[in-house]
Amino acid sequence: MTRLALVTVILFPLVVPGFSKASELLPADRPLAEVVDHYVSQKLRDAKVEPAAAADDATIIRRLTLDLAGRIPTAAEAQSYVASTDPEKKAGLVERLIDSDAYARHQANEFDAFLMADMNASLRDYLLTAFQEGRGWDQIFREVVIADQLSEAKAAAEFVKRRAKDADKLANDVSVMFFGVNVSCAKCHDHPLVAEWTQDHFYGMKSFFSRTFENGDFIGERDYGVVKFKTTDGDEKTAKPMLLSGAIVDEPESAEPTAEEKKKEKELLEKLKKDKQPPPPPKYSRRAQLAEAGLQAADREYFSRAIVNRLWYRLFGHGLVMPIDQMHPENEPSHPQLLQWLARDLQNHDYDLTRLVRGLVLSDAYARTSRWAGDARPRPDLFAVAAVRPLTPHQYATSLRLAVRSPARFSGDVSGDEVTSRIASVENGARSLANQFDQPGENFQVSVTEALMLSNNEKVTNELLRDAGDSLVGDLKTLDEPQRAVETAAWNVLTRELTEDERRLLTDFFVGQGDDRLTASRQLVWSLLTSSELRFNY
Amino acid sequence: MSQELFDRFSSPGVSRRGLLGGMLGGAVAATANLTGLDVLQQPALADTLKRNDRRVILLWLAGGASQLETWDPKPGRPTGGPFRAIQTNVPGVQISELMPKMSQRLQHTAIIRSLNTKIGDHGGGARLMHLGRRDESNLRLPDLGAMLARELSDPRSLAPDYVTYYTATEGRGNAVGQAGFLGSRFAPMFLTTEAQPENLSRLTAITATEDQRRAEMRSLLSQRFAAERQTGAVGSHDEAYARVRNLMAGEKLFDISDEPQAIRDLYGPTLFGKQALVARRLIEAGTPFVKISRAWWDSHGQNFETHLELVTELDNVMAALLDDLKARGLLESTLVVTLSEFGRTPNINASLGRDHFAKAWSTSLTGCGIQGGSVYGKTDPDGHTVADGEIGAAELFATIFEALGIDPQKEYHVGSRPVPLTDIGTLPVTEVLA
Amino acid sequence: MSNPQNLKVVKEQQQTGILFSLARVPGESRLFVGASDANIYDLDVMAEKPEPAALSGHESYVTGTVLAGDQLISSAYDGRLMWWDIETRQTIRSVPAHQRWIRELAVTPDGRQVISVADDMVCRVWDAADGSLLHELRGHAPQTPHHFPSMLYTCAVSPDGRFLATGDRVGHNVIWELKTGQSIATVETPTMYTWDPKQRIHSIGGVRSLAFSPDSTYLAVGGIGQIGNIDHLGGPARVEVFDWKKNERTYELADDKFKGLVERLAFHPNSDWLLAAGGDHGGFIQFYDLETGKAIRQEKAPMHVHDLALSPQADEIYAVGHGKIVVWQLAAEAEAAAAAG
Repeated sequence: MTRLALVTVILFPLVVPGFSKASELLPADRPLAEVVDHYVSQKLRDAKVEPAAAADDATIIRRLTLDLAGRIPTAAEAQSYVASTDPEKKAGLVERLIDSDAYARHQANEFDAFLMADMNASLRDYLLTAFQEGRGWDQIFREVVIADQLSEAKAAAEFVKRRAKDADKLANDVSVMFFGVNVSCAKCHDHPLVAEWTQDHFYGMKSFFSRTFENGDFIGERDYGVVKFKTTDGDEKTAKPMLLSGAIVDEPESAEPTAEEKKKEKELLEKLKKDKQPPPPPKYSRRAQLAEAGLQAADREYFSRAIVNRLWYRLFGHGLVMPIDQMHPENEPSHPQLLQWLARDLQNHDYDLTRLVRGLVLSDAYARTSRWAGDARPRPDLFAVAAVRPLTPHQYATSLRLAVRSPARFSGDVSGDEVTSRIASVENGARSLANQFDQPGENFQVSVTEALMLSNNEKVTNELLRDAGDSLVGDLKTLDEPQRAVETAAWNVLTRELTEDERRLLTDFFVGQGDDRLTASRQLVWSLLTSSELRFNY
Repeated sequence: MSQELFDRFSSPGVSRRGLLGGMLGGAVAATANLTGLDVLQQPALADTLKRNDRRVILLWLAGGASQLETWDPKPGRPTGGPFRAIQTNVPGVQISELMPKMSQRLQHTAIIRSLNTKIGDHGGGARLMHLGRRDESNLRLPDLGAMLARELSDPRSLAPDYVTYYTATEGRGNAVGQAGFLGSRFAPMFLTTEAQPENLSRLTAITATEDQRRAEMRSLLSQRFAAERQTGAVGSHDEAYARVRNLMAGEKLFDISDEPQAIRDLYGPTLFGKQALVARRLIEAGTPFVKISRAWWDSHGQNFETHLELVTELDNVMAALLDDLKARGLLESTLVVTLSEFGRTPNINASLGRDHFAKAWSTSLTGCGIQGGSVYGKTDPDGHTVADGEIGAAELFATIFEALGIDPQKEYHVGSRPVPLTDIGTLPVTEVLA
Repeated sequence: MSNPQNLKVVKEQQQTGILFSLARVPGESRLFVGASDANIYDLDVMAEKPEPAALSGHESYVTGTVLAGDQLISSAYDGRLMWWDIETRQTIRSVPAHQRWIRELAVTPDGRQVISVADDMVCRVWDAADGSLLHELRGHAPQTPHHFPSMLYTCAVSPDGRFLATGDRVGHNVIWELKTGQSIATVETPTMYTWDPKQRIHSIGGVRSLAFSPDSTYLAVGGIGQIGNIDHLGGPARVEVFDWKKNERTYELADDKFKGLVERLAFHPNSDWLLAAGGDHGGFIQFYDLETGKAIRQEKAPMHVHDLALSPQADEIYAVGHGKIVVWQLAAEAEAAAAAG
């Protein structure tokens, strides 16, 4: 067990952006969704913008299923939801989705893509367990940063291990991913935008990781070692372990080992490498200190706000603070009190991300239509209209694969458990296809490579347009009535009722392909699959 | 966000997106033949296009070509190796005897002999030489090709903006281009085939008419969807498919069997030669940036045999490319760059190899905006250190931008953050600029 | 008596540079060593403090040194052959012999003819006495099948002086009749050439050494086996032995003991064994039993070996390579002690 960090010396004023007194916030016991709408509506009123109407049922079930289960709904799910007259059907759907196994899998996929982007490695197995067990974000943070290779959470060590060679990256990734702050600007000079941030902050964060090293298949941490850097004045300075708030972690003196001790250490490490054993843990771990101290006082605010903002960004397509890695004191949130309230709520509820997600998706702000008929689309930070969000690779690949299966596979005639297991198998089968798509980030644009693949790749198109008893194309070619074929395809791919216009357009198209029903069915399904509508969460 | 980003690019003249939006609606139906290259003449575009006729071909010598066996020979020194230096057609300038053809064509080329890029591993070195700066963990930086595609692409061109070939498998992961915050619009068409890109030919199972029809329906549905949902990302989806139509129409661009036999002979029978010929076809059709990767130069053993093979080929292909560009009047507007992730050690190891070396190595710049025949920087007599004119990746990038008439300090905005093309304060090497 | 089991280093002499060739004055420990600094060094390797004297005149790596009477003949990557008086160390003659690098030099047993091979893919036979050209032998393609320049690495003369063998980059070996200059047989060793069409798209390897058996029946071909990662000399050291007149391969000597190129081959005068030496970053020396085709002794050498001279009694080996000259003895303990005494 690590000692509790002693955070004593405060060199810099506590800086927490846009901080209100707790008494000025809405009471802590108000329902989360209500709080969201309170603050969002307040800002809309101030801006004199009338928000867009609520989205229709088919859009809502599609949006929720994508956000909570990582896929589009099946035609049966969408039809049954639309047909239901239960006034509480949305809340019921949210609970069902959150309770499903797919929820944890989706969370694991999304967080893995976030935490391990471009690392050629995965934290998925660890994250899956963490989300299945409902671990709090604080615990995940601790397990990832402490990276204890002897504990049950040893799979979390991959995060540090993959970055162990590069303490700069490790420090900055942890700052960005867990504290919402990119300190890399402060590496060579004091931060250009944030007066309070100096090189001490960057090298202070780096100090928590500078003793970490790779040893064969494992990582180790030394008891000694300091980070030195050249200040902009050209002086050499030794960094102290410092958090983003400026809090410095007091630590016992650490003497540099003698040459003899270093030699011994090297021999031991070589032997452990050969024996495939982890290096012994340090008596005093700076990473463990960060895991403790990072969750205290002002740094806890950074920590909580960062994850609130991240999830808000994911569900609303635009963060409460933008860019999401620039949550520094001089970058005002669009809704400061809302962010503060949500961060407090998260802290008061064991950093339970599911509670947060549930509250956000139950808000009216989340449930608006993405259509905007007026002149100019309102500023995104008003949340007056739903964002149109590109699907993530997993969402898109799973949705494509699900859309081309025969609707009968998931109809009401099949038992619920069987449907669940069939969907899981589609999701699993979509993994390699998912690898072909880009992870969307800010300013995402669809690549021509993706469009080429979905247009002309024999293997991919053969799979998606397969003529078989369990495929959509196989079903469609047997339907006598062109209009029924069109409607069936639309429900399966777009998961909604067609407008009169669309029905006519697509029926003409289908009939216009000639007598070859198989070709006509493929042409129809391809057009729907590759249309922008399936590519986005709207 | 994306719309905002692009608005802030504040490029002079016409906005790219506006043009594309206008053009591509028609382009879907049009089956333009790109090989004809009959660019429509629209006077309003003239200014924008002035700079847009600039092109870049990067010959990426993956794995690390030896400066001692190419641009910076050290004959007679213990580190010099067995190759001689030969006099070039520029008085006072010698290069390795492995490059006899280039030695007679140096009047268009500048040699920089003073790169010190510090990073000596393939992955890190390749990233540095692609990005021109160190990676940042939460800012996805665009690489040279993406920045140049952004800066030089011709809004009316139907040719792709950024094409990369990397056929060898070794080191391929290190050299993947990225558009970073510029968005996938400027991501490379990354080709690993001999010449023809993957997924470019129409499916064998459908007819041209069927292909055309389904594309029209796809586009119609997408435009209906996008009607009240105009955002950058949504627009890019339909645009990507419109580009597929263009690329398919220009499939012949990648087919060198169209070239006269004499031209194909000039480039030679090797993969590198064939791809260099495709590069010329592409830039001729309006592609602003083409990278041809020649892997793999990592001669830890048998450095001299490897360089005998690979430099001989480089000399032949590069000379052919320059002659061909010149004959077509394209060399003045085309910059040809040779670059690696690093050079190789002056010391020769027991396997007669040379190892990784980023401390003192060379690159060449030919054509557009370059002071031909110039040599910048020098290394010490044995090539262990830079003796004069040390520069890093940033200065090289600034020089490339400057040669193409692009301000190296021009800023993009990512959110509120300004990101210049090259790191703040970076100066180009004016000595090699025309 | 020589016995590989008695193999022992008796001298290890540091010498700056890469040493590619040596010629030993018969019966003495005086060597002429061709080096990467374009010099030939004349030294008594067994002297307590050898004092090398330089013979300067070449302009690149010296890759061949042979003795013909009291003349030394040398070859280099500068494409020239040079004749030297070994007493005065003065140049007698300098002949532009090849357009490209000369890779190796051989001399007939009677010392009357000298043979050079070079990357212009021509083998030339010279009159050792006056430097005139006797034959030009062309039988190696200038380019590899993959359109890269080929290289003609090595040549060897049979002990009876009748035959000459040459070997190139792609594993093509030609046997010539020396008197007429006619090619009379070919032997293929394609395993010694690795073309990597996929990962790195270039090649490595080549036939690096050749030797005829004492009765001229067998031809041993040395090089390296197929290599996975051609950035390094990471393939097994490889020897193939042919009954070349029948075009039959009698042995394939390659195991995992050593990686690298077999740079030199030498037969025991009674065909008791075959000696192969070479290296990668390190060096090796190996002895094969010609009855069984099995290794008798395989040892690390102090350096990558580029050339060696086996004494007529096969009791001493003089070798040069990367930065070193090494002398081994093969005599039994008692004999060695007696010799030392």
